[in-house]
Amino acid sequence: MNSPIHNDRESQVDFSLVLAASVHDMKNSLGMLLNTLAGMMESAPPMTPEQARTYAVLEYEAARINSELIQLLSLYRMQEKRLMVQIDEHYLIDILEEQLARNDMLFRTRGIKVSLDCDEDLRWYLDGELVGGVINTVLVNCSRYCRQALTISASLDSKGLCIRIADDGAGYPASMLNLPLQDKAGVSFVSGSTNLGLFFAGRVAQLHTAKGVQGRIVLENGGSLGGGVFSLHLP
Amino acid sequence: MAEMNFSKLHALIVDDFDSFRMTVGKMLQEMGFVHIDSAVNSSEALRLCRTNAYDLILCDHNLGKGKSGQQVLEDLRHFDMPSSDALFVLISAESSKSIIMAAYDYEPDAYLTKPITNKILEQRLERLLLQRAKLAPVSRAIKAKRFDEALALCHREIASGGRYANHCQKLLGQLYLQLGDYPKAEKVYREVLEARPLDWAQLGMARVKKMQGDFIGAQQWLEEALATNPLFMKAYDLQAEIFREQQAKDKLQQTLARAVDISPLSILRQQQLGHVAYENNDLHTAANAYKRTVKLGEYSCFDSLSSHLGFARATLALVREDKAAAQPLLRDLIKVMGAIEQRFGKTPEQKLETDLLEVQLLSALGEHKKAEELLSATQSSAAEAGEQVPLEVQIEMVRALRAAGHKDEAASLLKRLLEENKGHEASLEQLDELLEEPASEKNRARVAAVNKKGIAFYDAGQYVDAIECFNNAAQAFPNHVGIRLNLVQALIEKVKQDRLSRDYEAAQTILTRIENMIDSSHEQFRRYRQLQEMLLASDPEKRR
Repeated sequence: MNSPIHNDRESQVDFSLVLAASVHDMKNSLGMLLNTLAGMMESAPPMTPEQARTYAVLEYEAARINSELIQLLSLYRMQEKRLMVQIDEHYLIDILEEQLARNDMLFRTRGIKVSLDCDEDLRWYLDGELVGGVINTVLVNCSRYCRQALTISASLDSKGLCIRIADDGAGYPASMLNLPLQDKAGVSFVSGSTNLGLFFAGRVAQLHTAKGVQGRIVLENGGSLGGGVFSLHLP
Repeated sequence: MAEMNFSKLHALIVDDFDSFRMTVGKMLQEMGFVHIDSAVNSSEALRLCRTNAYDLILCDHNLGKGKSGQQVLEDLRHFDMPSSDALFVLISAESSKSIIMAAYDYEPDAYLTKPITNKILEQRLERLLLQRAKLAPVSRAIKAKRFDEALALCHREIASGGRYANHCQKLLGQLYLQLGDYPKAEKVYREVLEARPLDWAQLGMARVKKMQGDFIGAQQWLEEALATNPLFMKAYDLQAEIFREQQAKDKLQQTLARAVDISPLSILRQQQLGHVAYENNDLHTAANAYKRTVKLGEYSCFDSLSSHLGFARATLALVREDKAAAQPLLRDLIKVMGAIEQRFGKTPEQKLETDLLEVQLLSALGEHKKAEELLSATQSSAAEAGEQVPLEVQIEMVRALRAAGHKDEAASLLKRLLEENKGHEASLEQLDELLEEPASEKNRARVAAVNKKGIAFYDAGQYVDAIECFNNAAQAFPNHVGIRLNLVQALIEKVKQDRLSRDYEAAQTILTRIENMIDSSHEQFRRYRQLQEMLLASDPEKRR
């Protein structure tokens, strides 16, 4: 008669546990899936372009589930004010390399050449996990829309840090370029998951503030590879 | 990155999933590891750690039944084992932060998030081992207590802007604090804070201020740290430490309640909350916090008998105050008491205390015959022990006698204890818990002062203030009939003034409680009766 899901605070706490527990299970399965896939590709490398594409689809979908799970949990915690933001000094190379390593197999199956442009000594103040999650989301998305090349770079300018991910695809559609990305209420679940990813990225950027300045994300087309360019600016 | 030689290292993989252990084992082999063990659960892992010296432990957080990965780490660092210094990598499915929040003292060297791939693992291990190798001279110097050398090494790394400068700044601050050189520690933290308001440096400043005795300064820094990161558990922990030193028990309880609300999985915070809430006579909070402590202790190295007994004491006190409210907790208490022997064995004193609590539980459950049997058994062991029975146990004996209905025996034992402890202020303060009117100088003065203040408010017609004052006093001295009657009297005046049925009901509840405490021979009985009639006459519903 009355649903126990939305009556009191107690059941919300339960939901958070349910969510965390299922994410745990899903990630275990996902890990198995990815590792089995890697093993399969090693023992039975793709013989035809057709097979290579099949592997690539499997890799991509698995990576996408992973990045969406991270977003889902983080956004849920943000809403519940239970998301810890712990800013500290980090080496950018560590964070970027980790996300590239995470998606290494994905890039390989898709035949994407990734170049990394980041000074070994570059360090900045940020939450490593959250920014890592944003980069992962963008990389997974790019792997689908770029043709064969992707560049990730990090550098300092007068306003702070800028992490840039550029590809050689068709670029972001006009509807997305005009989206009010920093808008808190700007998520539309009807239009699909891409917006959720950008919404997440925007929120993570905003969580980084220094001397009254907030972080932000920018979408552009063109750039060094002629496709879409995502940049994350952190003060 | 330079190729590393992993072949000499000993690794342990802990996960309850066979396939995961196998996959990670294979990854390690491919990297060049030769010595790889694996364990399927926490007890197997700890058994291996007690006999082998591992260099690296990869441990999943969620290990099914038994200890969690974090608890394995706690055991490892808490006890001295051959593997206590191993690099500990905690693997979890989701972000590491919910684990960080529960962590109290020990943090792993690194977190890895699932899914794990070859490349991620290799990259991370190389980085960790490189860091460990680079910082080895500092760690060795600290371990050998060659602090000057450790400080110099840290300074050198920071001055050269090396890769581990940030890490060395944290170490340096800690070292100066540990060595008691607070101005130098402050300098380290201030330099960090000049660049950016980082929570750990703000916490460091708070530590410096606290150690210098500047509690206000420390609290200000903690507030800043919590503004930077509202979920920063270490800031709550330090805040609690300060309130504890200041004996500010209300504030201590508030802080711990907030910390526990954010991170319910830390056993030590739950235990502290139970302890202070019991001291504050907030029995509901105390019983529930102890209940969670006992639950969390099931697989923890921080499990303690005192938490079990704390749960019993708080629940039984609640039974005395409000039996209906205590009812749901009694079921848990039966289980907890039943598990004590199996979990902690039996030493004589604890046995006596445990049995006396059991007598009270049996009485509360209406099992009078069993209660009576156990009571006489404990009485004879207490008689055997004679003078050696500690005061806490004697106090529990008074409570057990009362619970079992032996009012006269309880009264004469209490009388004897008061005589024996005449002039021992600390003992008298303990005995005050059993008394209607306190016997210790300190508590007598407190009652007198608070009563005087409340009466002054009452006489001035400031009934709200008077009620608050008497309420606080009744909380601190729950057996004091006089204070409660004063509270009722102030409430009646307020009912007459504001005609709120809320106040009327509050007064009624207190009178019902007093009715259970006294009989017609009590010196305040007449006053009680008078107030009862006055209250009835002032019923706001009736006159409407």
